[in-house]
Amino acid sequence: MSQKTILIVDDDPDVRLGLHVRLKANHYNVIFAVDGMSSIAEARKHKPDLVILDLGLPAGDGFSVMERLKANDSLSLIPVIVVSARDREANMDRALKAGAKAFLQKPVANAELLAVIRKVLGEPALPEKPVVHDLGSL
Amino acid sequence: MREKPLQVLVVEDNAGDVRLLREMFSKEKPGSFELTHLLRMSEAVIHLGKGGVDIVLLDMGLPDGHGLDTVRRVHAAAPGVPVIVLTGLDDEALAAEAMKEGAQDYLIKGQIENRALPRALRHAIERHRMQTETDLIRTDQMKFQDEFLSHVSHELRSPLTAIYQFVTILLDRLAGELNLEQHEYLQIVLRNVKQLQSIINDLLEVTRVQAGKLTVELQCTSVSDAIIYTVNTLQGAATAKGITLSADMDCQLPPVNADPTRVQQILIALVDNAIKFTPTGGAVKVQARVFEEDPGFLLVEVSDTGCGISPDMTERIFEHLYQITDTGQAGRKGLGLGLYISKELVTRQGGKIWVSSEPQTGSHFFFTVPIFSLTSWIGPILMHEKKPGDAIAVLAVEMGSREGWLSPDVRKEMSHLARRIVQQCLRPDTDVLLPNMDPVGVREFFFAVVYTQELGAEVISKRIQRQFRQCQELQPADLTLTVSHSFLAPISRVKSESMETFVEQVVAGIQDRINTIRLQRSI
Repeated sequence: MSQKTILIVDDDPDVRLGLHVRLKANHYNVIFAVDGMSSIAEARKHKPDLVILDLGLPAGDGFSVMERLKANDSLSLIPVIVVSARDREANMDRALKAGAKAFLQKPVANAELLAVIRKVLGEPALPEKPVVHDLGSL
Repeated sequence: MREKPLQVLVVEDNAGDVRLLREMFSKEKPGSFELTHLLRMSEAVIHLGKGGVDIVLLDMGLPDGHGLDTVRRVHAAAPGVPVIVLTGLDDEALAAEAMKEGAQDYLIKGQIENRALPRALRHAIERHRMQTETDLIRTDQMKFQDEFLSHVSHELRSPLTAIYQFVTILLDRLAGELNLEQHEYLQIVLRNVKQLQSIINDLLEVTRVQAGKLTVELQCTSVSDAIIYTVNTLQGAATAKGITLSADMDCQLPPVNADPTRVQQILIALVDNAIKFTPTGGAVKVQARVFEEDPGFLLVEVSDTGCGISPDMTERIFEHLYQITDTGQAGRKGLGLGLYISKELVTRQGGKIWVSSEPQTGSHFFFTVPIFSLTSWIGPILMHEKKPGDAIAVLAVEMGSREGWLSPDVRKEMSHLARRIVQQCLRPDTDVLLPNMDPVGVREFFFAVVYTQELGAEVISKRIQRQFRQCQELQPADLTLTVSHSFLAPISRVKSESMETFVEQVVAGIQDRINTIRLQRSI
């Protein structure tokens, strides 16, 4: 089975690297964009299977990125998962209406992030194993 | 002091009263007041719309406006202009009402002392100005605090994310092997990350409480599920500290009218606290039963064998930012916001929260939740006289996700949308959409009680299905939808029978239908 490609759009280099290591360990191919503008260019060039999108970005925030993805015929079907530090109450509604598949609040537990990614990509869920360091659901 | 004359609008249809008022003003220094006199409400509204009025003297009995309505209309036309109402001797109660509507003052006609009127005017204007200013400052402060905290929590979450990511990368050996000591230290970092995260969440929650933005969505739900969830979630933390954590409840607890995530939140806060304040070897227990003192409520109890709370503290611990400081062994305890938030959540759901405790023997935290009553939902519509021959149908709308829900948030969002659609398809005067029930597996349920004939029930079912298909936001989620209905066996009300008995029978019938459908789906 060929590796799925995930585009990570986040302006924080530490978060990008952290996600990169985590996703690579789970056998995904990872590409990056650091702002709104370049994320569209990267998406067009690589046609990723999934976009993990931050909301607060320079050069066009996450909402405008989603708008532009949806407006582009060849990109409109790429699923988007929003992963943001912004307040869930104020932003989740808007993100889902803009076409995001899910809104995850930073810091998101690894198990939750991976489970949502697998579901969005249509991959079978991993057998549940005891979670050693889940962030819990507080 | 003032250079421009004060613009006074007098709205009064009695010529004699107006003459008296003019006389009173005539004794003032020339150029200090300028009176405009209008006879009708409609004229006053137009005049106020143009601006420039400093204060309104308003008679509450006009040819085209009467009573409190006049005050409301003046406020609507010119929200920033203070109003003094003029009233007769026998109308003081009405004048007091007018003050509640926002009038600054009232003057009783025929009892106004000579120099009192201009003074009353000046005071009213000054009072109004101060009030407006205070309101403005308060709104500004709230907004600033809101924005500030939301900004701070965002700024805290970003670095916290990076710390979490890399600690777990190390712990999962994604960057090479660890020795035991390294592993243990990283676990400590992780534990502190979690603590910090819960503090940030609490901070935001408190902001919401203070801004009146805390959302509570009541539905028919089970407290047992919330208790089981809480015990499972915190079992690890209890075991790590050598504490037994257990649950004990009646197996047949009635469902409650509450927000399930909020009940969970309260339980987590209470049990988490109990674990924190209980020494190794102790026990924390969660119990639930129908409240003996008020059978309309469930009583939930979280008890521990910890250090206890002295009696004079038992009220204060629910206060904002209160912390028990003199117990050395518990270590850091966060901001002490958990109990404050819990109290707010319990109260918002119609319950009470309290603690009984003896120092050194442990604490018992109690809170109550209203028991769900189908009767209170359906009673009013049954009392209403209905067209003879119409029967009662239970309409069940089931929405499921083919692929399984992506996340609880997505599920909640879709459930909101679906509920709105079902509500729109019902007739407001005869049908009742019951509150949400706990879902069964991947299915969300919406039950409605519909007063109709067979044909009517089919029309509503078709309407719901059509609206679902047309809803843009529901389309991408790949949902399944089933709409079904079943009629209750006719229950005729015998003349000798009380209305209560009749309602009870109908409610039992409806409950039975709902239970049957839910049971069928859970197998």
